[in-house]
Amino acid sequence: MTECQALKKLHMYPQNCRMRGGARKGSKKSPKLIMKTRSVICFTVTDVYDYFRALLKNDEKSDRAFTLTAEAIELNAANYTVWHYRRVLLQALEKDLREEMRYITAIIEDQPKNYQVWHHRRMVVEWLNDPSEELEFIAEILSQDAKNYHAWQHRQWVLKEYKLWDSELEYVEQLLEEDVRNNSAWNQRHYVISHTTGYSDPSILNREVQYSLKQIKKAPHNESVWNYLKGILQDRGLSSHPGLLEQILELKETHCSPYLLGFLVDIYEDSLENTSGDQVEVLSKALELCELLAQERDTIRREYWSYVGRSLQTKYCSGDPSTTSSAPETDRGSASVSVHQETTCNS
Amino acid sequence: MKLHLVYFTVLTLNSKLFFFGSGPPKRPLMLTIVFFALSGLDVLDSLNVIDKPSLIEWVYSLQVIPTEDQSNLGRCGFRGSSHIGVPYSTSKGPGVSHPYDSGHVAMTYTGLACLVLLGDDLSRVNKEACLMGLKALQLEDGSFYAVPEGSENDMRFVYCAACICYMLDDWSGMDIKKAIDYIRGSMSYDNGIGQGAGLESHGGSTFCAVAALSLMGKLEEMFSQRELNRIRRWCMMRQQNGFQGRPNKPVDTCYSFWVGATLELLDVFQYTNFEKNRNYILSTQDRLVGGFAKWPDSHPDPLHAYFGICGLSLIGEANLRRVHPALNVSQRAFEYLQHLHRTWRGTCT
Repeated sequence: MTECQALKKLHMYPQNCRMRGGARKGSKKSPKLIMKTRSVICFTVTDVYDYFRALLKNDEKSDRAFTLTAEAIELNAANYTVWHYRRVLLQALEKDLREEMRYITAIIEDQPKNYQVWHHRRMVVEWLNDPSEELEFIAEILSQDAKNYHAWQHRQWVLKEYKLWDSELEYVEQLLEEDVRNNSAWNQRHYVISHTTGYSDPSILNREVQYSLKQIKKAPHNESVWNYLKGILQDRGLSSHPGLLEQILELKETHCSPYLLGFLVDIYEDSLENTSGDQVEVLSKALELCELLAQERDTIRREYWSYVGRSLQTKYCSGDPSTTSSAPETDRGSASVSVHQETTCNS
Repeated sequence: MKLHLVYFTVLTLNSKLFFFGSGPPKRPLMLTIVFFALSGLDVLDSLNVIDKPSLIEWVYSLQVIPTEDQSNLGRCGFRGSSHIGVPYSTSKGPGVSHPYDSGHVAMTYTGLACLVLLGDDLSRVNKEACLMGLKALQLEDGSFYAVPEGSENDMRFVYCAACICYMLDDWSGMDIKKAIDYIRGSMSYDNGIGQGAGLESHGGSTFCAVAALSLMGKLEEMFSQRELNRIRRWCMMRQQNGFQGRPNKPVDTCYSFWVGATLELLDVFQYTNFEKNRNYILSTQDRLVGGFAKWPDSHPDPLHAYFGICGLSLIGEANLRRVHPALNVSQRAFEYLQHLHRTWRGTCT
């Protein structure tokens, strides 16, 4: 119907009437016929949007408009214009925001991977300046999908904005207990510690290293824990941590994985980069590991590990190892160099 | 097998397009979906099935242009569809004032991309207005909203903004330094890149960040070789057979593009396992209607159909055009865009 017709029809219902509609995703014009009449007024899908367009154009601020946004949202919760209009109405009509929290809670439960619903919740929480329900609500959503990116994003915002750090590390540990491979939980661990104690304190750093090693022993084939361990140590130089190399070499015997081997390569590379003097042994060990990864332990990345080996060789074999040489050349199409050949350094 | 794929995929994409015809479409269409269809057809070298002039008119009808008094400059760009009912007009003459009519950064990006794909010269794009609209969306931290009324802000919209500036050949639409700061700040402890600072690193946001820097021409400048190597490693580790988006998550067809293209921009895609990647993508094909899904035996959708094709293009699959890994259009379309830029700069002979 035209905008004129829509407005005329709307005039039959006063602005302050609370319309009860029953628009469903199916309509006369679509294959799904799921029309239920809840009350006298019955909307088709087309009707809802025709009314919506008319109200929007006039920027009408009324109860019937507010009710209509709920209908439109039910048909398509991703329509950002409808959500924005609803927020305008929430404020203009001074609606009960606690009720709105209940509303948005239900919508998110139903569609937890929609961007607009989480943004709307954030706005309402900000207006209320009340985050008291948030951590519990998000935990509930995460209990259904422990890696929901929207949920984690909202959680990080709540924690930072309202400084609710106290129980978060405990929550993270609980999640890691349930699934030590939950990468989102590992990320959250880093987030919490970074924003509270930080990693500068050696006792904290050591605690985290020990925690990581413990989780590695429980489940060695877990990229997340290895990424975490490397992440908290790499900026201080992997090779400068006393005892780390030895600990990893020990683990290699009983709890090996492609991630452990890659970690060793990185320790050796850090050593090559930051230690002066003869590093032939270190280079040789690194190349051996690249070969092992390529041929046996991480064969899907065979070409990559060969490339890593070649890069190390190019960078640290020719000339003075302490030179800050330019980037290892990316060799397109060159045959991979087998490490079983002599790695003669022509210095 | 491959012809089979081409045939069915064209059919799928075509069926979305039967709403087109001459004149304004009868059913509401969404610009991002149209982009997937058009760019997908282009990679399949099948854009000839499209009524280009009609579609160009439709895209222009989505442009939010300045009103007579120019009071809405900060809201210009392209809208995603005609859903709010602004009268159909193909961008000739001043805009109609409407309290809720604004552009959306992803629609401005895909709108411009569609026009380029269709061979339009962008002469009816109000470039100054688009750039004003874009500037209005950037936050202090360097990221972007999607719409001037406010929305979530993250790496997706940084990428859209970079594409817009790149296509319009004009970086005055953003504060590059702030955008770069946002990107750097989003690098995770594990060397991937998240949607924002502190957030979990993710294949999609990593692509958005690296591709945006590439379009800005700042990739090598803003990351050291050591950092680039770290990002390379994070991306390489995403391959399981196809690619996953985050560590310890299932693989998904679209990451064959998001992560694959990132690796290509970092010069190491050649070291991935093409065979396993290809086999995975093909396993998610729908034999009945064509297209691809995120997983085998799942329902196909336009996004996964498009990125499945792009993923295959990256590995050099026969009968597919090459895809530009940063701009996410065919190399053919990219070269046409460069030609346009040369004419604008007056360096075309």
